[in-house]
Amino acid sequence: MKPICLPATLDSLDEIGKYVVAATTEAGLDTKAAYGMRLAVDEIATNIITHGYEEAGRSGEINLSGVLSDSSLTMVLEDTGIPFDPRSQAAPDEDDLCLPLEERSIGGLGIFLVLKGVDDFSYEYTDGRNRNILVANRPLVTNT
Amino acid sequence: MAFDAQLAMTDSIAKITLTGSLDASSAPRFKEVIEQAAVQSPTRLVLLMKDLEFLASAGLRVLIFAKQKMGAKVDIYVIGSQGPVLGTLEMSGFHHSVYIQDTYADA
Repeated sequence: MKPICLPATLDSLDEIGKYVVAATTEAGLDTKAAYGMRLAVDEIATNIITHGYEEAGRSGEINLSGVLSDSSLTMVLEDTGIPFDPRSQAAPDEDDLCLPLEERSIGGLGIFLVLKGVDDFSYEYTDGRNRNILVANRPLVTNT
Repeated sequence: MAFDAQLAMTDSIAKITLTGSLDASSAPRFKEVIEQAAVQSPTRLVLLMKDLEFLASAGLRVLIFAKQKMGAKVDIYVIGSQGPVLGTLEMSGFHHSVYIQDTYADA
């Protein structure tokens, strides 16, 4: 799919969502996997915008691309915000998930949903760019 | 679909109808409506979510905010949530703290 480049603002989340929906439709993902990818990309993009740019007093862009192979759909988000590894946030554990809401911490839910939503997630920082890579396996197609 | 949140107060029960996509760009609007409800000291918060098609962690954090703002004694009801949105609530453990129902008698 042709990559897109959008301003790193929360207003871009809608456009990012549409791009992911188009990619997951083309990949033939089922409803759950498609939603999981949309949610994961939304969470990562939100992290980039808020932590990578806004809280750092920066402005910039997010590049988003989708690559289809026979076996998977890979979505890659690239940005030039401050280095930010989403995995550095502690995701809630089983005990946290059972706490009453009034005792819950508001942190870590985003990366929790990312890791639950896709089959593989990785992050790298090279040449001044953050790269978040999300992979969903495509359903096997059997020729009969 | 664009997000919308509509508040209706009936007999100290706050009902909020949520539609569209609830993520970091729309969560401030949801939080604003929760604050409007909270100042009226409701005894119960009913969230009508049949037409909420997308729910990200920013929306979940507003639910946590609602519970902390209104107090532990104010029960939260989630009505009509389905599919992946319901899956997100359950995966995140929110079903331990809110009442999830298909319908609400006075909805």
